[in-house]
Amino acid sequence: MPPSAESDPAMQTEISEDEIALYDRQIRLWGMQAQEKIRRANILLITLRALGSEISKNLVLAGISSLTILDPNPVSTADLGAGFFLSQATNAAEGLEGLEGKSRAEAAAPIVQKLNPRVKVRADSGPVREKDAAYFASFDVVIATDLGAADIAWINDATRAAGKKFYAAGCHGTHGFIFSDLVSHSYVIQRDSANVVTKPGPESATRAVVDVRTKKEGPRVVETVTKRETYSPFGKACLSAPLPAEFARSKRRLRAVSPVLSCLRALWSAPDLADPSSRAGMESFTRTVMGKHAELGLPPETLTPEVIRQFLQGVGAEIAPVAAILGGQLAQDVINVLGQTQQPIQNTVVFDGGVMEASVYALHSDLEGAGAEA
Amino acid sequence: MAVARDQYNQQTLGESLNDKLKKSRVLMVGAGGIGCELLKNLVLSGFLNVHIVDLDTIDLSNLNRQFLFRNEHIKKSKALVAKEVAQTFNPEAEVTAYHDNIKDERFGVSWFRQFDLVFNALDNLDARRHVNKMCLAADVPLIESGTTGFNGQVQVIKKGVTACYDCSPKETPKSFPVCTIRSTPSQSIHCIVWGKSYLLSEIFGVSEESSFDNTTNSENEGEIEELQREAAALRNIRNSIGTPEFPRLLFEKVFHTDVERLRSMAEMWKSRTPPESLKYDEVLSRASDALASKDSLLRDGQKVWSLEESLVVFQDSLDRLSRRILKMKEAKAETDPDPVITFDKDDEDTLDFVAASANIRSTVFGIDRKSRFDIKQMAGNIIPAIATTNAIVAGLCILQAFKVMKGEYDQAKEVFLTPFAPARLLATDRSRAPNPKCPVCSTYQTSAFVDLSRATLNDLVEDFVRLELGYGDKEFTVNSEAGLLYDVDETENLPKKLSDLANLQG
Repeated sequence: MPPSAESDPAMQTEISEDEIALYDRQIRLWGMQAQEKIRRANILLITLRALGSEISKNLVLAGISSLTILDPNPVSTADLGAGFFLSQATNAAEGLEGLEGKSRAEAAAPIVQKLNPRVKVRADSGPVREKDAAYFASFDVVIATDLGAADIAWINDATRAAGKKFYAAGCHGTHGFIFSDLVSHSYVIQRDSANVVTKPGPESATRAVVDVRTKKEGPRVVETVTKRETYSPFGKACLSAPLPAEFARSKRRLRAVSPVLSCLRALWSAPDLADPSSRAGMESFTRTVMGKHAELGLPPETLTPEVIRQFLQGVGAEIAPVAAILGGQLAQDVINVLGQTQQPIQNTVVFDGGVMEASVYALHSDLEGAGAEA
Repeated sequence: MAVARDQYNQQTLGESLNDKLKKSRVLMVGAGGIGCELLKNLVLSGFLNVHIVDLDTIDLSNLNRQFLFRNEHIKKSKALVAKEVAQTFNPEAEVTAYHDNIKDERFGVSWFRQFDLVFNALDNLDARRHVNKMCLAADVPLIESGTTGFNGQVQVIKKGVTACYDCSPKETPKSFPVCTIRSTPSQSIHCIVWGKSYLLSEIFGVSEESSFDNTTNSENEGEIEELQREAAALRNIRNSIGTPEFPRLLFEKVFHTDVERLRSMAEMWKSRTPPESLKYDEVLSRASDALASKDSLLRDGQKVWSLEESLVVFQDSLDRLSRRILKMKEAKAETDPDPVITFDKDDEDTLDFVAASANIRSTVFGIDRKSRFDIKQMAGNIIPAIATTNAIVAGLCILQAFKVMKGEYDQAKEVFLTPFAPARLLATDRSRAPNPKCPVCSTYQTSAFVDLSRATLNDLVEDFVRLELGYGDKEFTVNSEAGLLYDVDETENLPKKLSDLANLQG
């Protein structure tokens, strides 16, 4: 086989037959090449609560190279409700007192490590704001969970500066979100050729086809299409961007937009949320949400008081099924992005567990250099 | 008040649902891919009384996704290990584990009735159908889920309210026409099925012709007769197992003589490329390099073997299997049936033999050869499975469970994962209504308590069905899993005791 640009001679420890046997059922899905890329990935996970536990479980099982868990906070009783690794750590230490002086990262890392001895699992208890550019540059992907908008934006700026891929996600009761900034991401899709040949050029505002090759495989004609997605940072996406142009043109589409998007945006813009269980807190939050809803151009009737009440009830709370769904989707996207053979999320997922919907919106305020308008 | 462990559940779900979950009793069938994730979610969500049933033991290839299991658990019971680990997630949870088959008679309808909710976390049609039937009979809501690769789905099944598992027909495993397998293969899978279900079983097992579609019609009648003669001749070669001549005899028979006979049938190759027969000594004479690298060849499952390399593996695996069966014959008692070796994807000897034979046959018919890794998947019907899909599906099962526990069946939807769709990651559909023609849930169901050792079929027919259920003089039939027990013309079973007739259930 000719050497590929991907291969890094320093990392050329061959994937062993034992590893192939262990990862058998997933290699059959995404192939050997993707597994080799996953196997070289170094990932930083910031905050280990329920969502972080799900993500770390999924990535460590998949066989990445290393996972660094950064979380300076101590383990609290409420963390044990849905945070199963912290619960196990507490058990092993015979109660929370046994974890005295340990951060969530330190408590969880040894438990996470046991899932897969082939992955290097490290704990970091330093505050994230003290990390410098070189720190972020040492990872392939950075994932920040359960943080406020200011922290998310700060970390995202750092990963942008280092040219690294970034994800943020959060759980609020039955609601949640995933955001991704992959800067610029190329991937290759193999498929049977349709009657119309795929041509290089823009496919959407963010996606462009950069290369097409066709090959005959017996009776089938297979095309290998290289695509590139362009992304925006959190501040220019989640905090301020309008919905994509095709939404504004359709009343039906606007009506179908999840009002949870307005609620999330209100939460991001009002970090010092007054006690939401108080009347004043509820009223002030409602005003902010209504403002965001109007700003997005959404019809007022989709934002009912019940939607706002439900959302507020869950703010800051994590429950296992929502963490499992969001953590599963996020980790799957990370794995696909590492393998570079699938269409990744572009760029914001709004999850509403009440109606079991996970809608994806491409939020960009001013895209530079992408495919431009399709 | 001190912060409680379940503060967030309380906050999100509300006190009344949170309390209801804690007092409920639920059953989870299957502790594998979905099961591990689901059990974690159950105990963390406040389902404190969970029963789990799984017959399976833990295998290395489970560990990439069944996160409750680790290397040291290999070969242990999935149900028992899952219970031990999941209980550490929530000390209040009480998990009861059964290392047993859910079809066992101790899990009868009355046993199912004790549960508020049942979860299927299974990987096969048969067990799913069984639990579906039991839940309908016991009138317990069922949450049914499944995954393959990136895809997954969840549905709620409630008797009389939503469609049941059998309301829509399910795909059954594919069988191939016998002539495609034996005479005119055109794809790798045809050669693999030939190696597994024909060649391996004719030499080391019992004929497995049932996996072929043996339908005869005027066109292929003659050919099928010919094929049966051919198989009989092959069985004769079995007598030379263990002799030095055996590999050559077998090779010459199936890759030369039989192929030459096929080639001679000009009709068959009018629109197809005719096969090219092989000579054992000729291939072997080119195989010295392959022979020298035999060990590395056998280790590397990813490599696509050449014809010569396939021959080397053919010889080697044939030798291993021959020695095995001779040993088995030696060990057997006079009265024991003849030993057999059947295909198992995790039995390397059988896999090597099938892979090598399939590749040699592919060469004969001008079909691309495959790696052992790929052949294992096709021969063993391996379905790709990953942690994330299972995690997402198991999360959805719990959201559905919340609706069911609140009695909000109108809000329980069918949910599908839609991987790589640009606008949404999940698609939902309103639960379908029961299919009035469904053979499973459209029928009237009832249960009766009888002493099987005393009651006769006549008691059931006359006293229960005709009198109690009011069938009177109407005509009806009584069936069991074994078949027909009673109808108007079939009355000889009437005096028999129910315990002697069958395993009557449901």
